Amino acid sequence: MGFTAKAQVYNAAIQETVLGVGDKALTLGGARTQPLCSFDETWKNAPAVGVEVSDIPFETEGFPVLAEYYAGCESFGDRVKRASEMEGAKFVCLHFEGADPGGENKSVEDIVALAKEAAAATDLPLVITGCKNVEKDQAIFTAVSDALSDRNPLFMSAREEDYKTIGAACAMANGHKVGAESAVDINLAKQLNVLMTQLGVAPTSIVMNLGSAAAGYGFEYVASTMDRVKAAALEQNDTMLQMPVITPVALETWSVKESIMSQAEMPEWGDKEERAVDMEVVTASACLTSGSDAVILRHPTSVKTIAAMLAALA
Amino acid sequence: MGLFDVVYHGSDEMYFKAEAAVKETIEKIGENAPVSFGNTAYYLACIKAYTALEVTNMAQLRDALVPIRAMMTRNNRTADIFHSGIATAMAAEVIEACKYAVNPKPYGEADNPNDNKYHGHMTDAEVRELGVPLVTRDIPGFVVLIDEAPTDEQAVALIKGYQSRGIFVFLLGGIIDQAVRKGVKMGFPVRVVPVGPDIIAVSHIISLVVRAAFIFGNIQPGDYVNMNTYTMDRIFAFVNAFTPVSDITVACGAGAIAMGFPVITNETKDMNWRVPKSLIINEDVDQWIDCSLEARGIKIKVTEMDIPIACSSAFEGEIIRKGDMQLEADGSRKDCLELVRTKDVHEIEDHKITLVGKDIDEFGVGEKICMATIVEVGGVKMQPDFEPVMERKIHSFINCLEGIMHTGQRDLIRIRVSKAAFEAGFRMKHFGELLYAKIKNEYDAVVDKCQVTIYTEPEKVHELRVEANKIYDARDARVSKLTDESVDVFYTCILCQSFSPSHVCIITPERLGLCGAVSWMDAKATNQLDPNGPCQIVPKERVIDENIGIWEDVNEAVNKYSHGALEQVSLYSIMMDPMTSCGCFECICGIEPFSNGVVIVNREHTGLTPLGMSFSELASQTGGGVQTPGFMGHGRHFIPSKKFMKAEGGVQRIVWMPKALKDSVAERLNATAKELYGIDSFVDMIADETLTPEGDPEALVEFLTEKGHPALGLEPMM
Repeated sequence: MGFTAKAQVYNAAIQETVLGVGDKALTLGGARTQPLCSFDETWKNAPAVGVEVSDIPFETEGFPVLAEYYAGCESFGDRVKRASEMEGAKFVCLHFEGADPGGENKSVEDIVALAKEAAAATDLPLVITGCKNVEKDQAIFTAVSDALSDRNPLFMSAREEDYKTIGAACAMANGHKVGAESAVDINLAKQLNVLMTQLGVAPTSIVMNLGSAAAGYGFEYVASTMDRVKAAALEQNDTMLQMPVITPVALETWSVKESIMSQAEMPEWGDKEERAVDMEVVTASACLTSGSDAVILRHPTSVKTIAAMLAALA
Repeated sequence: MGLFDVVYHGSDEMYFKAEAAVKETIEKIGENAPVSFGNTAYYLACIKAYTALEVTNMAQLRDALVPIRAMMTRNNRTADIFHSGIATAMAAEVIEACKYAVNPKPYGEADNPNDNKYHGHMTDAEVRELGVPLVTRDIPGFVVLIDEAPTDEQAVALIKGYQSRGIFVFLLGGIIDQAVRKGVKMGFPVRVVPVGPDIIAVSHIISLVVRAAFIFGNIQPGDYVNMNTYTMDRIFAFVNAFTPVSDITVACGAGAIAMGFPVITNETKDMNWRVPKSLIINEDVDQWIDCSLEARGIKIKVTEMDIPIACSSAFEGEIIRKGDMQLEADGSRKDCLELVRTKDVHEIEDHKITLVGKDIDEFGVGEKICMATIVEVGGVKMQPDFEPVMERKIHSFINCLEGIMHTGQRDLIRIRVSKAAFEAGFRMKHFGELLYAKIKNEYDAVVDKCQVTIYTEPEKVHELRVEANKIYDARDARVSKLTDESVDVFYTCILCQSFSPSHVCIITPERLGLCGAVSWMDAKATNQLDPNGPCQIVPKERVIDENIGIWEDVNEAVNKYSHGALEQVSLYSIMMDPMTSCGCFECICGIEPFSNGVVIVNREHTGLTPLGMSFSELASQTGGGVQTPGFMGHGRHFIPSKKFMKAEGGVQRIVWMPKALKDSVAERLNATAKELYGIDSFVDMIADETLTPEGDPEALVEFLTEKGHPALGLEPMM
């Protein structure tokens, strides 16, 4: 007797959230199956790959391919344009590292100007990432939210400390999308979603950033949290955990030793750029397998590889 | 004239003014002339909000008068004065719109409206700028002050009083001149905005409110009910109107009340219709701030503490040695105590700090002093059950001060103040400032007002100690009387799920959390203070088996909060679906097959149990949120509970415990055994590591037989 595969399709679905506007608008979520299981049901919306661009040009020492990709770019706008042209890129993540008061401490006005420059350079949906300083992020997100009021961007991230301001200024006042960031804990993730909706943010304006780790750096916690979030969303129809998940993979993988030690220091580890790309690809594929609906990557080779993987699985 | 008539009269007056203004303006600029306040996407926002009309020219403005008039109903029901009140604000907007139609800058030539005497219309950008902190409650609310205060000084005191509490202030009419005379700095950036010379300009404030509701609440134009529900629930505004209050102002006030904004006034004429919490007559203007905040339910966050030394968890473990000590309050030698008491809100003066007795600089260096700290709190949601929860936090609050050491609680505290802290200027009142700020911030869900009194006068402290001990005893009695049967709900605790994802504790009065840190009372307080937090209510209505401790509600809760990992838990059994453990249990109890009983071992005990396993070996079988029949993690205080493995016969199953653990629970365990089985000195029948050789079950059975331990005669557990 032949084997008959039984499709595992749930009655509940991951919520759909739209980023960006126009032809290039991107819908995240919509799945009624376990992650990537296109054999159970054809994907409604494929998981998406986005490209990170920082206002501070990336370190290119030991990364000739990355350096070559952005060669000739003179401004942030140039780099954003180039990034949006990567094969497989569905959105661009503007990472405003330079706003950090402990670093370059760029003013809110400067950041707004950069955001406008970036918006003019690409029509892909935009994801805005701050500098991790709670106060500064609130200020720049509020200002950028007004400046990009016609672009429907996603702001990452609203945390327990600042979800009120970011929820009110970005999602409620301008109708943008907000990433709810929690630190690898299903209960905190859910609590933040509950608090944001109580504030008045529409659930469809929320995307979850459940936190991540580079592969090998405690990733099992990430995988287990994502598994349980997806199980609660699909098996138990928990509406407060049905928001799509976005994972800023690049933010994690480019700071681990595998990606920063030079080949001179670690000759036995081989080529530095290859290692950095491997870390990014391995972590991103693990996140997608665990349930991320979007990942943010930096290297053109990683973006191409993950996009190809998703295309092959569709 | 009754209040209804006043409102009717006032709204008529405003309407006729509006009608006249429209007529005059059309004569001047024609009916096709555009009408706009500028810098807004919401047309004339009040009119749009309540009629859905989008007015862009004078003809449309004239037509808008019809629905405005229609809203001024006269059936002598409360709804009539509410509708008329809101229509009055819309009529006011018509008048203002006429001004702007004739001259786009009716309130001054400056491009920045903050540079003009009156601000007038607020832009959408200003609505957003104020709206975001209003939504986040960083600005706890706003007040509209109308007309002239009795004196200039009182005007300034009110403005500054509100400003210092973070309340945004709008001014209308005569009070603006008072503020100007007194040199009060005004403008949007300093959160004091002089809107206009008379009550008609109130429409700019209502316009701001309704635009905030459009922007942040997604309220649809013309949706009267939802608009007013939103403003009532989400916009924390209120009105202070000084006598003499004109009929027009009363009519606008009725509109404010319809939107959920209470009106506080010192006008007594014709105010025969009082609405609790909505129309408040208070002739003492100096009390208005407290009165208004209470009426609108606004709580002010305390952000700064006036203390000369640092306060941070970095100083929590700091030890002050004798030589570095300025003075010491030592509860083991002198009378000392800490007590949190609930009082009626009206008996408490918020932020009152009192010292009775000598201050730190009046004692000798190194002196041992008597000290009583009494914290009195009040609030609508405050319950006496929260007192011990707050009281226990006093330790960690004070211990975080730099150069101050604190140990213990109740009347067994010890506080040391270092010479360095003293030299930095630390005095007794600063304890009060610290406790006030911490309690108001941490417990803002239940505490509306808080005052602190510190006593160092020995006789008084002695008296207080006697009284306090009665209170402590009463509390203990209440806790010991609390049984699982006497309460209606249990609580979940999922604090540990970050590392033990499928574990859920069910906290009952007789079974505290297995970590020993969360009692039923704590869980209850946690739930009230943080309704979305780790402790959720579990009703206990659908009982399946009360003896084994199975409730359908409990099963549903563990299923839900373990995200489906667990289906059933029996609260009083260790054999059938025992409660799971995260890993932070104080004790483990495990079945001992030879004696037909259980052994209990606490975390601190390093030796072997009669099972041949140590605590850590047993822990590896028990933690991680899995059910292992025969093994269970639990809190120390659960041992003498009547619910301890009640399904298997209760505490008489306990055959072995480490001596230290046994000693710590002996008194209560003996009492329980006496009550349940009539056994005297039951603890003496329990073996420990000093009575039988380590890891030797045969010697254990011999010992138990010799003592006549009841477990030997019970039915087998397996």
